[in-house]
Parts: sequence; structure tokens; C-alpha cells
Amino acid sequence: MLFWIQQKRWLLISLALGAVFYFLVPRPADLSPEGYHILIIILMTLILILKEPIPLPAIALQLIFWQVIIGGSTPNEVGSYFMNDAVFFIMGSLMLAVAIVSQGLDKRLALGIIRLTGNKTWRIVAGFTAISAVLSSFVGPHMVTAMMLPVALTLIKFADKKKSKSVTALTAALLFSIAYGATVGSIGTPSGGGRNVIMLNYWAEFGSGSLGYIDWIKMVYPMVLVEIPITTFIILKTFPPEIQVMDTAVRRLSVEVAHAGRTSSREIFSIVLFFGVLYGWIVLSDNVGLGGVALMGVFLYLAFGLVAWKDLSQQVNWGVILLFGATISIGVQMKNTGGAAWVAGLSVDFLRDIIPNIDILRAVVSVALSGVMSNLLSSSATVAVVGPVVLNLGGDPILLGLASVIASAFGYFTAVAAPACTIIYSSGLVRAPDFLRAGWKMAIMSVGSLLLLALFWWPLFR
Amino acid sequence: MTKKQEKINPQTLKFLTAVSSAEYSKPTLKLGSLIASVFDASLGVVYVGERASEFHGSSVNMTRQNLDNWNIIHPGLEVLEWALKELKALNPDDESLAKIKFNADHVYEEDGRVRVFLPGEDACRIELILREGELVNQLRKEIQLENYDLAIIGGSQDKRHLAHSLIQYLPSSIFVLQKFNPRKKYKLLLLVDDSKATKKSVQWGALIAEKLGWPVRTLTVSKTKRFGAGYQGAADMAKAYFEDKGIEVEQFFLTGDPVRTFVEFAGDNHFVIMGASTLNPVKQFLFGSKPIKTLERSNVPILIVR
Repeated sequence: MLFWIQQKRWLLISLALGAVFYFLVPRPADLSPEGYHILIIILMTLILILKEPIPLPAIALQLIFWQVIIGGSTPNEVGSYFMNDAVFFIMGSLMLAVAIVSQGLDKRLALGIIRLTGNKTWRIVAGFTAISAVLSSFVGPHMVTAMMLPVALTLIKFADKKKSKSVTALTAALLFSIAYGATVGSIGTPSGGGRNVIMLNYWAEFGSGSLGYIDWIKMVYPMVLVEIPITTFIILKTFPPEIQVMDTAVRRLSVEVAHAGRTSSREIFSIVLFFGVLYGWIVLSDNVGLGGVALMGVFLYLAFGLVAWKDLSQQVNWGVILLFGATISIGVQMKNTGGAAWVAGLSVDFLRDIIPNIDILRAVVSVALSGVMSNLLSSSATVAVVGPVVLNLGGDPILLGLASVIASAFGYFTAVAAPACTIIYSSGLVRAPDFLRAGWKMAIMSVGSLLLLALFWWPLFR
Repeated sequence: MTKKQEKINPQTLKFLTAVSSAEYSKPTLKLGSLIASVFDASLGVVYVGERASEFHGSSVNMTRQNLDNWNIIHPGLEVLEWALKELKALNPDDESLAKIKFNADHVYEEDGRVRVFLPGEDACRIELILREGELVNQLRKEIQLENYDLAIIGGSQDKRHLAHSLIQYLPSSIFVLQKFNPRKKYKLLLLVDDSKATKKSVQWGALIAEKLGWPVRTLTVSKTKRFGAGYQGAADMAKAYFEDKGIEVEQFFLTGDPVRTFVEFAGDNHFVIMGASTLNPVKQFLFGSKPIKTLERSNVPILIVR
């Protein structure tokens, strides 16, 4: 019993806090009862997401029934917000990742990277960062990292001739070039991450306007392009590689991937389908939706036998999809009940004396909330929760929403925020302090880049 | 889960040791292997890795599957491969162990863990297990699943935090290897009182004394000048048990604070055996227990019997 309590203490703390706020703490006079109750549910949920004392699907389920029991919503109301294009996109992109990664195209990718970069270490790090960023901006960081990590680990294996783990800085440089490259790139287009689509969905749901695929690229991609070389520089300075030229490792990698043989018709077809999906996102997504295009792509991979449903059903975490559905539904309820506006007002009032300029204040609240929370939660969960608050700050919701989405990619300090960081951490070759060593520099660089973008680039469009 | 045996069976002893990396776990593995061979026990080696946040769990799994295609194995399997190599080097005369080959493809998932299939593992009595999640929880599950008699824990970990949880929640006896030197000839110090665990502690003490030939001392500490019938009875039972096995025993009866007396008496040349606490779990959690306090304050190897 005590062991169960010890293991589930954060569940008990979350329930106890919820009970204290519900029964004992008086509701603020300017907040509706429903809005207050929704904020209590969000507080409980944040604790559960942060500490994971229960499985993610269970967190999603409690979000649903609490909304009905104390949130003042009907089951149909909660259900109506549950499935939307953002959830379709998250579901589709997770399935697409499994479908594409299983084709074994990473060996072709490895060969392409080596041809492009040559054997100098700094060029390989730069190449990894750039390719991860560009690919991730279109297909998301999880898929790119899953494909790039084997390439990096194979290079490390060949470079570490004595198998004595004597190339720790080189290892960190290569792995962080993938993770940070993919994270930096994931803001570049709407299809770069679930959080981008969640924000598009909130804009549409709250009547805040819209931003097309190409318009998003025009407004955000310059930041990605600026960040790629600076990220490379930061990584090389933080983890100066022990080896300057990786000729043997590159040669052995070339030999290894050459064993894959000539490109098969199946591989060519899956590449064609992949570019078809990209084309669909760019050209069709404004009408069909990003989720719609992603699901079409999955349908085609399944229809042409390029991936088996069994693989998709086994490798996709359906609990995450359930959780995003639930989180978005409570995000909408936060807006509808006035809870989001109350938190936004509170944040602005709190900082008004320190930052008198209201536009700067809104931007600071938006960036700080998203940036800090994304280092604790997943970046998509951050946008799902913070999005409604940011869109209630006043000012231009498109610009504030973009700033929030971009800042939610600043989860450089920990392994939990971005999927790319979690994946490289799971290799066991980088440690938690390594994220701090490079993360603070990346955070300063990213905030600076966002500031420049907001001050000098966005005024050209809005 | 099988119910814990009241008596230990020296013919079917199962020991478990946890390893974290080639860098830090060498001493623990070495001593674990040595202890298992002395007692002719089977040895389970478990690696408990961090579990990725469930948010990105499917991305991590997808990446690992892709890494398999590149013949890059899970970092935990790398550690287990190293452990098997070390065990072979530590037991050069064990022919059945020498024949075993590690194959990272020969693993199978069962009961929430990954087990490395070792052809001929029954002969050498080694098991390699990979688990992911919170350390204490995973060790607890492993012990419950395989009904291990003894968990061998390195003494270099964060004593206060980790040992507290391990002693409190692991359902087997626990050997904490702090400052354990296998070449040193220890005196066995058995702490005897009226608790239920004393009987089993005595059995362990006798087994160790028989195997290693260490002299045995029993220590009974009372907070008052009076030693009750329970304490006296337990000390007599221990003496009779040892003598029945042909082991000489010295008995000591001291008064004072039990933990302080244990620690002062143990000094640095005893190997302490004591029963797990019989306090209710809430009291243990809030106020600690004799085993936990003794472990925190002493610098000798301790076997806590459950």
C-alpha cells in the first residue's frame, strides 16, 4: 500500500490540490465558476503530464470526465472538440513516420549527406544540422531524428576505433547537431510539428484569422535559415570534436551503406509518395487540411502495401493522440468559459508595472510562458495549454500565436521537451548536463533571432 | 508472484544484482558474481534504464527499431553484453559459461521486461535482464517475478535516498556492499531480537559462516537494563541453531540506543546481518527504521534479511 502511495504520490497530490481549490479556495470574483473549474482541471492535468504517475491515456480520460463532472460541459460538447484537423495531423504524421522510416531510406540519406559534406568534422556537423533542420521543417523532428540517428551512431562507432568511448565530444556534437537542427527546423512550416497545427486550429476555432502554408513559410523560415549556421557554431564550440577529419569513419560508412544496393522500385515509389505528401501540404492543406493530407498519405502507403497496418498499430502511440484530443478540447473550453482570458489578464496585470509597453508585454508573456513550459512539458502540450491564453492577450493573435509556437520550440535545456532531444538522450550517449551546457546558448540565440524576426521581418507582412 | 519462503533453501538460491554501466558497475558485478559462486546460487543481472517520457515513447521505439536495422543495439543490451564478458573473465574455469555467446537479436519481451536468451543458461545459471523505468519499482517487479532470495546492491550509490527506498520496498533480503572487501576475513555480527526476521537472519548467518568460515558473534541490544523473555529466547534460539550446525558462537548483550550500539560494536571489521524492520510501513517511512539508520551510519557491509 505504501509502495503504491509512493509510486502514485503525484496523482494523489494532483487530486488533493484539485480538491483544495474546488472546495476551500474561493473563486476570484471576475472568473466564472466554469472557468475556475476548467483552470483547476488544467492544474491537475499539468501535474500529471509533468510527473507521469499514470499512463498518458489515463490522463486523457480524466480530462474528459472532469470536464463533464465539474467543468460544466456536456459529453457531446467535449466530444465535438475532440477530433479536429490538428488531431488528424498528429495521428497522420505519427503513422507517416512509421511508414517512411520502415522503408530504409536512411541509408540513401546517409550517402547523400556524406557526398555533400565530405570528411571534415565541422562540415559533417554543419551538414547534419542543416539537413535535419530542413527535413524536419516539412516532416517533423521525430521522423528526421529516427532516420539520422543511425547514421550518426555508425559514424561514431567507426570513429571510436578503440571502442573506449574516447570521442565523447564528437559524439555529443553529432547527436546535438541532429536534435537541435531538427528542433530549430520544426518551426519552419505548419507541418513541422503538431504544435504548429494546434495553433492553426486555435486560430480557426477562436475566429482569430488564418495563415496559409506558404504565408507561414514566408514569415518564419528566415529564422530557421539564420539559426542553422549559428546552431552549428554553438555545437562546435560547446563540444569541440576530438577528431578534425573523419576520413576512415566516412569511408567505412560509405562501404556499409553501399551494401544496401541499388535503389529498388519500392523505394522509388515510397520517395514519390513522400514528395506527394509534401506537395499536398504546400498546395492542398489550406482547403483539405494538414491532417487530411497526412491521412491521404498514410492511406496510399497502406493501399500500395508499403507498410502493414499491424506495424502502424503497434508503433504509433495512440495514447498520445487521445491526450492531444483531450488537451485541445479543454483548451477550447478554457477559451469558452473565460478561463483563458482571466489567466491572460492576470499575467498582463502582474507584469504591467515592469513592462509598460503593452505590445512588448504581450510578446514577453507569450514567449516566456511557452518557452518555460516547453522545457517541462512536451512542446505540443505546451501550445495546447498556453495557446488559448496567448490568443486572449489582445493584440495581433497571428503574431502572438506565431511567437508562442516558435518559443515552444525553445525546449533545449531538457530531454523531455522535443522528441528529437528525447531520442538522442535515449541513446545513452549524451547526459542531462550536456543539454544544459549547450541549451542556454541555444536559448539566447533563439530568443535573439525571434526578436529580430518580430522587429524587422514581420512588420513587412502585417 | 510466489510467496516468500519462510526458510532459505541453500540448494536453490537466486541472487540478483543491478548494473548501470561498464564504467560504474564493475565492482558490484565482480562481488555479485563472487558471492553467487560461493553460495552456488544462480545470478540474475539486471540493467534498469531510464524510460523515455511517454509523450515521445513511440518516436524512441521507432528509432530503436531503425537502429536494429543498422546493427546498433540498445545501450542497455550493450551493458549486459559487457556484463556477460566480465562474468566470463571472472569465472575462467566455468566451461558452461565460456560457451555462452551473447546475441543482441536473441532477446524476447515478457512480463514488461526484455530477457536476453542465452543458449545453455540453465547450466551456468545466469540471466540477463533489461528493464526500463524507475529503479526501485523495476527491481521490485523483477524480484517478485523471479522470487529472488537476495538483491546485491553496490554501496557507492546515494546512500540516504536510494538505500532507504530499496530497504523499504524490495521484497527480498538485501546485501549492501558498502566497503565490502572479499579478501578480508570479517567477523559475522548477527543482530538478534524478538522480531520475526531473526529466525531467517540466523539461517543466513549459519549459511555464510559455513561457506566462508568466519567467526560468528550475536549481539542483542536492549534499551533498558532488562532483557525480556523474547530477547533472551531469540538469543538462545540463535545459539542453539549455530551449535547444531557445529558453528561456535560468541554472545553479547548490551544496553543503550540500538542503532548507536550496533554501529559502535560493528566498527570496521564486522559483516552485519540484521532482520528487516517490523515497524508498520508508515512509521518506517516517517521515522526510518533500525536497518535504514544502521546503514546510514555505518561503513561495513550489511545483509538485511527479509
